[in-house]
Amino acid sequence: MALLEVRDLRIEFATPQGPAAILDGVDLSLERGRSLGLVGESGCGKSMTALAIMGLLSEQARVSGTIAFDGEDLLALPEPALCRLRGRRISMIFQEPMTALNPVKTIGRQVAEGLHRHLRLGRTEAEARAARLLDRVGLPGQRFPLSLYPHQLSGGQRQRVMIAAAMACGPDLLIADEPTTALDVTLQAQVLDLIAELVESEGLALLLIAHDLGVVAEMADAVAVMYSGRIVEAGPATAVFGAMAHPYARGLFAAMPKGPGDGTTADRLATIPGQVPDPAGRPLGCAFAPRCSQAQDLCAAEPPVESLSAGHWVRCRYPQRGTATA
Amino acid sequence: MSVFLAKRALALVATLLIASLAIFLVLEVLPGDPALIVLGTGAQDDTLAALRRQMGLDRPMLERYLVWIADLLRGTLGESYTYGRPVADLIGERVLVSLPLAVMAILLSTAIALPLGVASAARHGRLSDTAIMGFVQLGVAVPNFWFAMLLILLFAVNLGWVPAGGFAGWEEGAGSALLSLLLPAIALALPQAAILARVTRSSVLEVMREDYVRTARAKGLTRGQALWRHGVRNALIPVVTIMGLQFSFLLAGTIIIENVFYLPGLGRLIFQAIAQRDLVVVKDLVVLLAATVILVNFLVDLSYAALDPRLRLGNGG
Repeated sequence: MALLEVRDLRIEFATPQGPAAILDGVDLSLERGRSLGLVGESGCGKSMTALAIMGLLSEQARVSGTIAFDGEDLLALPEPALCRLRGRRISMIFQEPMTALNPVKTIGRQVAEGLHRHLRLGRTEAEARAARLLDRVGLPGQRFPLSLYPHQLSGGQRQRVMIAAAMACGPDLLIADEPTTALDVTLQAQVLDLIAELVESEGLALLLIAHDLGVVAEMADAVAVMYSGRIVEAGPATAVFGAMAHPYARGLFAAMPKGPGDGTTADRLATIPGQVPDPAGRPLGCAFAPRCSQAQDLCAAEPPVESLSAGHWVRCRYPQRGTATA
Repeated sequence: MSVFLAKRALALVATLLIASLAIFLVLEVLPGDPALIVLGTGAQDDTLAALRRQMGLDRPMLERYLVWIADLLRGTLGESYTYGRPVADLIGERVLVSLPLAVMAILLSTAIALPLGVASAARHGRLSDTAIMGFVQLGVAVPNFWFAMLLILLFAVNLGWVPAGGFAGWEEGAGSALLSLLLPAIALALPQAAILARVTRSSVLEVMREDYVRTARAKGLTRGQALWRHGVRNALIPVVTIMGLQFSFLLAGTIIIENVFYLPGLGRLIFQAIAQRDLVVVKDLVVLLAATVILVNFLVDLSYAALDPRLRLGNGG
């Protein structure tokens, strides 16, 4: 049984134009100790998916489907039970380290908070544990005492504090929502390495949300590509990157900047014309069709789900064959 | 921290000097000859001149200003023309009414406003939020002197629980003195509490949308825990600012309420002194009140630093 099994997840918000489905039937599956990369453009519903798993969507959201975590449907759990899960078995780190830490509390307090709450540790013990955690994420106690405040740290250091706090209670699942997007390029690799190392050594399952396919290719065992509230292609990372089938996924791949020396840097990066449709005015059938160079009349009908290889599927009537060219 | 303190203390002294100069100049240009007021319009010219000399009015303006400041710094205030008593004594008496009244009012107002504001924010958009804000709106709209009269009618006239006005004096025991300040304190506190509750609510609502509150929730804190442990302290800065302003207002701005309740406080003293052109009292009292306002603001600044570590500059950050 998978650790996390999301089935037909729908999230609707009421808008003046009627209900808008931010998520329109999302399926995800993540095994214990594995990592899944969820990729897509801004506004496609990645963060909403993460917040739905955490049970932290705003009260206005109407959620349906199932989110099974270790066999329990999180959507059916009462709030107190969710509070016992959050931070204990499911942890999350956010995109903005500058604002995600409380400016008036010391980093020691913020890392130790989950230890008090979930493990009922006393003050001294929680502080000792917090110091070890900070040491673990690369903030050694001599230079980074527990009494520091977030404003005394850089963005990368703050994200390390966030990671320490998320790891505090030894969770089974870590959700990282664009953990490096707000950081300098030079720091991105360091923080990703830290996450990868922790995931590996602690045997965590990782749900990594990114808009950058390169990050996912490096970190994840499996990939799900999201477009306008739906997963359009998913599968093991090797299979997906080996034979990308959805025109949108191919477009994302082509839009990736390449390293130096591959002869393409002088060319302009490929772009996908148009914008993600507004969830309230999403076209019938394939939502990507209006932007798709391969679209045909039949794309106005609901696209079929086609299995390509073991675990690799695509939601497209005209999936592309052969290796993606980037 | 020490840099922050030194900067604020310097600003405090500068503001005090500017305020004293402004008060002195305004009273200089004000029409009305104090000597004439003391002696009456039928006084002889040479008597007037003699009195002016005695009061020091014949000396240059700058000299009089410096003498006044030097006297203030030594703690010697002038003597009232109309009361024939030292201003220090007058103020000393009146402060014993005004200060407890202001403290009672601000305590009451805070005790009402903070829980209401936080509760209202926690129930944002629900019926109880609307109900609380409805009452608050009423509190803002009702003038305090009218509310004071209603209080007198109900609690003093009909129920007879408290005196309708006047001040028993501290010699009669703290109980009866505090009792005679209770209704005025309530009348002063209600509109202030209403404003404070609104500020608290909007400040808490704003803070609740912050990322770090979501982080706290992601750690497993309930909505209430996230609100109290992560929201309230961050939300207090605007609230403390308003409280500081309100306290300053309460010390000096209670003229109407002191009149409604016949309380011999600072507000009444300054009102009467202005009406009788008792410029020595006005000058000393206004500069004292200005100093209090500036001091309260200084304390508010210090409380910011206590609330928000980012403001404690120079602490090795």
